[in-house]
Amino acid sequence: MSDITSATAAGANRASSGGLRDNAIFKALFVDPWSYRTGAVILGLLNVILLAATSSGWGVTTALTYWGAWIWEILGGNPHSWAYFAEASKPFNNPGHDFLHDAGSLSNLGLILGAALSVLLASQFRIKKIKSGKQIGAAILGGLMMGVGARMAFGCNIGSMFTGLPSMSLHGWVFMVAIFLGAAVGSRLLVKYFI
Amino acid sequence: MAEKTLDCLGEACPVPLVKTQKALAAMEIGDVLVVAIDHSCAMKNIPEWADKAGHNFEIDEVEGGRWDIVIEKVN
Repeated sequence: MSDITSATAAGANRASSGGLRDNAIFKALFVDPWSYRTGAVILGLLNVILLAATSSGWGVTTALTYWGAWIWEILGGNPHSWAYFAEASKPFNNPGHDFLHDAGSLSNLGLILGAALSVLLASQFRIKKIKSGKQIGAAILGGLMMGVGARMAFGCNIGSMFTGLPSMSLHGWVFMVAIFLGAAVGSRLLVKYFI
Repeated sequence: MAEKTLDCLGEACPVPLVKTQKALAAMEIGDVLVVAIDHSCAMKNIPEWADKAGHNFEIDEVEGGRWDIVIEKVN
């Protein structure tokens, strides 16, 4: 493990020397990847703060569902009459509930801005090319399946697992078993059809 | 001592790693494989695998966010 870290660090120095990237503290904080342990501890602490501040733990896909429904509304649809929002995801129909008053939407925005900031600080921002039509098809199909799956499970790996498990919710454990089974099948399909 | 380049630009995990494993399996001992990546996770998992499998490797950051991993097949 220590060999890899030093090889990675040596490699990272080659491209752009000089400036902040040569500063050891800056490099450890912003350029080199953090260890899984560091990431886990920070995520755990942030979720505690989020729970204290907004009375609900971290989730991602519920807000994405709202985003989709708001777009549908702009296009002329009426998502407020949907059974899903009447039964399962009630805050959507609360009076005054919009993007700026939805903690999940704001934390998703923060997630995107934070990821952009992180890659910019590391000087690793890059517009990546689309490799093939197959890649587009797989991304759309995968995204749709994950989106539908996350709604059926009332959350994704963040809301159902990362937040569900520490709240001692049984559905988090069921979700975890299911996600391992799904990943096992998915990896086999990936290797068979995509590589 | 053949040298081969594997273009994994624009590809996300775990595709670069699986492609690297496949490509290297088809090569002879002493051959060199250059894997071009622009996905920072692949910059972690490909060297980790190469280290575990006992191959020699080196990482080159060609430009910001673009790396070449040079792997020499040892066994």
